[in-house]
Amino acid sequence: MPAASRFSARHIVFLVVLAAVTLPLIFNLSLTHTVTPETQQVYANIDSLAAGELLLLSFDFEASSLPEVRPLAMALIRHAFSRDLKIMGMSLFAEGTALGEQTIRQVAKEYNKQYGVDWVYLGFRPQRESAILSLGESVSAEFPRDYFGTPTTGMPIFAAADSYAQIATVISIADGDMPSYWIEYAVSPHAVNLQAAVTASMATSFYPYLQSHQLKGLLAGLKGAAEYENLIERKGGGARGLYALSVSQFVIVLVIIAGNVVERVRRRRN
Amino acid sequence: MDLGTIIAAIATLAIFSFLYKDNPFYRMAEHILIGLSVGFTLVLLWNSVLTPKLFVPLFSKGDLWSLIPFAMSILMLMRLRGSWSKFSKPVMALIIGAGAGLSIPARMDARILKQLSATIEPFSAMGLGQLSAGDIFNAILGLIAVLTVMVYFFYTRPDNKPVRAISQVGIYFLMIFFGATFGYTVTSRLTLLIGRIEFLLSDFLHLI
Amino acid sequence: MINRIAVAVAFVVGIFMVAQYFISSEISGRLYNLLLDYYQIIFAVTMIVGGISLVRYHGAQIRRDADSRVYSIVTILAVAFMVVSASIAGTGPTSPYQWAFNNLQAPMQATTFSLLAFFVASAAYRGFRVRSTPALVLALAAVIVLVGRSAFGDMISDKLPELAGWVLNNPSATAKRGILVGIGLGSVATALRVILGIERSYL
Repeated sequence: MPAASRFSARHIVFLVVLAAVTLPLIFNLSLTHTVTPETQQVYANIDSLAAGELLLLSFDFEASSLPEVRPLAMALIRHAFSRDLKIMGMSLFAEGTALGEQTIRQVAKEYNKQYGVDWVYLGFRPQRESAILSLGESVSAEFPRDYFGTPTTGMPIFAAADSYAQIATVISIADGDMPSYWIEYAVSPHAVNLQAAVTASMATSFYPYLQSHQLKGLLAGLKGAAEYENLIERKGGGARGLYALSVSQFVIVLVIIAGNVVERVRRRRN
Repeated sequence: MDLGTIIAAIATLAIFSFLYKDNPFYRMAEHILIGLSVGFTLVLLWNSVLTPKLFVPLFSKGDLWSLIPFAMSILMLMRLRGSWSKFSKPVMALIIGAGAGLSIPARMDARILKQLSATIEPFSAMGLGQLSAGDIFNAILGLIAVLTVMVYFFYTRPDNKPVRAISQVGIYFLMIFFGATFGYTVTSRLTLLIGRIEFLLSDFLHLI
Repeated sequence: MINRIAVAVAFVVGIFMVAQYFISSEISGRLYNLLLDYYQIIFAVTMIVGGISLVRYHGAQIRRDADSRVYSIVTILAVAFMVVSASIAGTGPTSPYQWAFNNLQAPMQATTFSLLAFFVASAAYRGFRVRSTPALVLALAAVIVLVGRSAFGDMISDKLPELAGWVLNNPSATAKRGILVGIGLGSVATALRVILGIERSYL
């Protein structure tokens, strides 16, 4: 193929994708959609917890995947706070640390939750294996001070729980392979009840763990967030982006078909 | 509109300009991003790890045991000077050895035993007559997939015909996995684009 | 000599970490926690070594390469801004450090990855050609997931999400399981080689 025509074909695809994303955002529609069993499972797990039980949320993502993971995190935190569950937040990724704190803080304000009593933000730990294992011994020993430098001993939230044994469920909100480290270093040695909320691109990697019951629930991508928002009856980023996502997914299918048609025609001509 | 939104929009457009071609605006934004990311991480490591786990115990509480990681840290910093970098080898060995030791039981359990058990588990339920025809089909399909994919990875002798045939079946299963992953990856990338376009249309241009 | 010490350290620490998984005594538990702490501290120091190396590299580039000088200066200034502003004004929600993260670093990072949407679409157009049966299977699986896991798929037929769910839960998941077991065996073998001193590429 001559360089000029390859250049133009590529840029036409770029423009098609841009239009497929932009136009549905401007002329947005609210779509009805079903809830997958995987999402239903996460919802049921959190819904079954009693008020006052503790969730450990690990914000294991970079800023790069924020548009995808933030709606997931918001929906999960809203569900937890509406059920009066307590939340400990932390991150195994540098960038996820600031983003996680901002997300919990925003939702905590909506539900009038008190810092240190209803939620706490522990901050960042590098070296995932040792961080995950250390939490099994004592959360307050691993995090003697919270994200803001305040000593964690004496915080009311730590009276209820200080290790995996007292944490009702751990949720890794991730854009990479981090839930598999939680499986290896928290589920295997400590039988932690683990769920994952991941970007769509990582979802296929975690289905085997779901079947082996090492993962108790799997929430995936923007569609997963929209489904969860349906379940908690509170629309957010998932519902807002769903129409644009659905249109652009269809456009990609058309692009794949177009690529094959062009190839066939070209081959026949040759 | 606040200054932060304007700066974020300019930075976003500078990165998008790469779609036309590599250009100085993009390269400038790229280097700012690298610098900020490194600076951000260094500060976070200092505040979240080195201060509470090393400096406070050693210098504020006078914990002499903390001299050990302090000495290790100094040895590690010797990597910055070529001729001294060999002194960091035992510390590197500690990291590598600890990682290797931690991973053996964890991976044996999580990735091998539990996964093989999940493959076999449906067959025990089958014996008790608890599975539907669909479940039995899925269980057999699962067993074939696991075995053929493993054969594809482990037995690479091209002259052995039966092994090659089994590997071929494994390839079809892998194609399904890679296809499904591609479908979901496209979904993921489109979501990221939706996020950025939404920011430009909403926060910056106030169009939606 | 130093290499021998390093191999011995890897052996002792590696064996201890494996053994700790099976035994629970107070002394070994305390040592284990201490080692986990050291592990994190050293890891943090290695990241700092990486950061310093990056600054040194760009420092050298400023002297060496006139064309890319300005980019290297910008990189060093950006690192310095984060470090200096955090030391002076802290890292609180209203600090310059946090402002730069929210308004520069996070948007640029997200935009860089969103570029991949265009390139993935371009790859779908040029690279997803059905020229063989495995390629057909690959394309079919991709299309089933794309359509079946979209809201439009729900609207077309309730069978489409079911089909996508079946693909994800059965052939795709079990193929991934084969990969997981394979990688698991490979990584355990590599870890054993490291502990036993057969694999020494880290030295």
